[in-house]
Amino acid sequence: MSAPQNVMEPPARLAWGEVRLSVEQASYAYGAGGERQAPLFTLGATSFQARQRELVAVLGPNASGKSTLLRLLAGSAKPLSGRVLLDGFETSAMDPRTRARRIAMVQQETSLLFPVRAWEYVLQGRHPYGHGLRFETPEDCAIAENALAQLGATHLADRPMHEISGGEKQRVILARALAQQPLLLLLDEPTLHLDLGAQVELLRQLRRLAEENRYTVVVVTHELNLAAEFADQVVLLHRGKCLRVGAPAEVYHPEFLTQVYGADLEVETSSRGIPRVIVRGGPRGGGELPRMES
Amino acid sequence: MRKRKQRFNRLLRATPAVLYLACATNLAAVRVQDPPARPAAPAVTREVTDETGRKVRVPAVVRRIVSLAPSLTETVYALGAQERLVGVTDYCDYPAEARSKAKVGGAVTPSIEHIVALKPDLVLAQAHGMNRRETVEALERLDIPVFTTSARTVEELLGSVERLADVMGAAERGAVLLADLRARLAGLARRLEGRTPRKVFFVVWYEPLISVGPQTFLADALRRAGAQSVVETSQDWPQVNLEELLRLQPEFLVFASSHTEGVARTVESLREQRGWRALEAIQKKRIAGISDAVNRPGPRLLDAIEQLARQLHPEAFPGVAP
Amino acid sequence: MKPLTPKRLAWICGTLGGALLLVMAISLKFGATPVSLTELLVNLWRVAVGTIAEIPSEHQMFVFELRLPRILLGVLVGAALSVAGAGFQALLRNPLADPYVLGVSSGAALGAILSLILAANRPLAMPLAAFAGAAVTIAAVYFLGRRSGEIDSYTLLLGGIITASFLSGVIMFLMTTLSGRDLRGIAFWLMGDLSSPAPVAAGWLFAVLGLAIGAIYTTAADLNLLLSGEQEAMHLGVDVPRVKLVVYLGASVLTGLAVSVSGAIGYVGLLVPHVMRMLFGSDYRVLIPTSALGGAIVIVAADTLARTIVSPTQLPVGAMTAIAGAPTFLYLLRRRLP
Repeated sequence: MSAPQNVMEPPARLAWGEVRLSVEQASYAYGAGGERQAPLFTLGATSFQARQRELVAVLGPNASGKSTLLRLLAGSAKPLSGRVLLDGFETSAMDPRTRARRIAMVQQETSLLFPVRAWEYVLQGRHPYGHGLRFETPEDCAIAENALAQLGATHLADRPMHEISGGEKQRVILARALAQQPLLLLLDEPTLHLDLGAQVELLRQLRRLAEENRYTVVVVTHELNLAAEFADQVVLLHRGKCLRVGAPAEVYHPEFLTQVYGADLEVETSSRGIPRVIVRGGPRGGGELPRMES
Repeated sequence: MRKRKQRFNRLLRATPAVLYLACATNLAAVRVQDPPARPAAPAVTREVTDETGRKVRVPAVVRRIVSLAPSLTETVYALGAQERLVGVTDYCDYPAEARSKAKVGGAVTPSIEHIVALKPDLVLAQAHGMNRRETVEALERLDIPVFTTSARTVEELLGSVERLADVMGAAERGAVLLADLRARLAGLARRLEGRTPRKVFFVVWYEPLISVGPQTFLADALRRAGAQSVVETSQDWPQVNLEELLRLQPEFLVFASSHTEGVARTVESLREQRGWRALEAIQKKRIAGISDAVNRPGPRLLDAIEQLARQLHPEAFPGVAP
Repeated sequence: MKPLTPKRLAWICGTLGGALLLVMAISLKFGATPVSLTELLVNLWRVAVGTIAEIPSEHQMFVFELRLPRILLGVLVGAALSVAGAGFQALLRNPLADPYVLGVSSGAALGAILSLILAANRPLAMPLAAFAGAAVTIAAVYFLGRRSGEIDSYTLLLGGIITASFLSGVIMFLMTTLSGRDLRGIAFWLMGDLSSPAPVAAGWLFAVLGLAIGAIYTTAADLNLLLSGEQEAMHLGVDVPRVKLVVYLGASVLTGLAVSVSGAIGYVGLLVPHVMRMLFGSDYRVLIPTSALGGAIVIVAADTLARTIVSPTQLPVGAMTAIAGAPTFLYLLRRRLP
């Protein structure tokens, strides 16, 4: 007896275990269009690969190139050197509609001008599947409903977006991304405005969705421990350079982390083999507070 | 939700009637392309050129006149053609009987429909008054003849009266009126001969301070009354700085008003104000009032000019109270 | 979940269209001489059937030469301004945007004034010059509003406001040089006035109207997404630069068209889209046609009132739209709040 077809799942193109997302020596610089100033490199050559059902966390302090990397993955920017391939196609070379059908960028917040209901918002995710002046088909509606259902947000469907907030809003935003039926989900610091409970909830949802719908998920985040708990791979960036790529246990070494974050950190490994970052340097930990320069 | 449905239902019920009308207007749109039939053109017309250079086809016998300016209405009455006057503006109030004529709206935007409904065979308009070119063009497009006068001086006004008399078929009355007006003007000129014109400042409005330019009708009327406007500018209604006025120190201030008390009150309030009190004309009470008729270039203008002349040059009018 | 269907759209448009025809019929009826509509219909029927060659002159004169053209002009101007307003609100992501915010009407006014000064007696000079002024302003503001080769909403808004202010200054200066007669003419034109007949056949004007509205309508679905934010829209597959350009050109042409034939009638472009949003929702696939029809209804109604309320005195139609429009908007706004 075969399992019921998951409506949210994009047509299976890859066999299990095949690489979906391939970043090969991709770099990016502003002002590389031949202006008088030397180009400002925001991201040096970076490489990593991700498969379906994998969750990759991109870590690094501010101005480390995380957002640039995300833009390269989304195809909004063309890499100066190297390439970013999704299923063998360069992301920056795709036309916008095709790209929107393969890659979903999940927003942190909404800035809506006029009142929009949650179901209307989610239906917007079906836009890349229509032509010109189109009306949504019953199929589109079904997909949108399913997206909400997968996130447990069906009860929010008729509420106006500006009346929903926090974790619930995050779910509706995520539902819109799901409605795009993408292969790749990208999230830029989604945990920023959420409390701890909501953060954990979000990452669990992402893991579950990656599993059920066979997504590749890339999450840019500051949360080292959450990333360690939920990510299969971690990409550590520092000042535009990719310092390390690998499983959390491989990347979370105190030398790397201290170099990157400049803080006094220790790493413990739990019984399950998952590294945990511990902060040192507070008054109770026995560390000395830095003396102020006079 | 239910209210919306109610509204829609109500609108829906009106639809059948409206659909008939839709068909009708569609048919109408097709028909409009044929040139509409006019009532047979009046038997005899002649072509005249009005004072703005337009060629106008007026009937030889004019029976129904619409006037678009108060001064033109006054002229029509002065020429004795009031029986044939069928429409006037809201502001035509002199003579009093003019108020009882049918109205066609304001002078700036009269109602074209009302004018057309009166079936005029001649419409009178003014080039330097309130009437707009658009009104004249709109009427011409409907084949209604419009004669536009253009008078910037008193002499031109007399010429307009003469031409209007001719167009309206009141040439005889016109000749009489003109002779009278010319005689009065000549008499006035004789009285004022040799006297230096008084330097005056005509106050159109005082907040902001607005006067008249030398090329306006008002300036010419002032000249005829033995006055000289001290304002030198190319604009018609210049806004003048109070400092400039103090520098010019005119001999007289002239106000246009229908009530002498109104002028007196205004002057009293101005006397208190800084700047104004430094004017010699205010200090020495050299204020002249001139009737509102000066704003209407019509036959009553002569009365206003004479009235002003008497105030400015009382010595020239022995035995007459100013 | 009730998505928009072609059927619902047709129903809404049909209802509004019916309302428009009703308002037009009422407008046809009233004026200096009331026209009996039934008589008119009967005559029209007879003409159509061939019983009589032509309608008796009385009706024809008033209805076809004076009132119907004015009503049609009102429909044109109302539709043009409302769709332009809706378009600019999306393009500039600003609910307070109206068709004049980018300076198009000031450019048209400047063209009109220059035509008064330079080419006083030519009959078609003013509307053509006004449209030319509008076109030049559209191009100038477009180039001012670009960043890295595409329209940037914020820069466009600033560029447009600055242009409008500059042109207003020039206009004020020129107005002091005009003769009294021309001054009054331009003052009335600036207030908005439907009494001057259209310079070219109604057919051409409506063709341009249809093309411009049609062009904007092709981007209707994209505009819904654009309102969520440009980045988001791009990530959802919208060709943002192209959509912005199409909407900018379409809405500007509509504004230029309306202003050239009737001066700058205010409030319609700002209020009608908001009222239609309250009644029928913010989806631009519905908003554009309802704004067009709603704007036409408002202008025809306002113009009818303007020319009959204190007849024979004619009020400027822009004054009517402001006086009647603002309280209506307030009422709807209050009803919407809990």
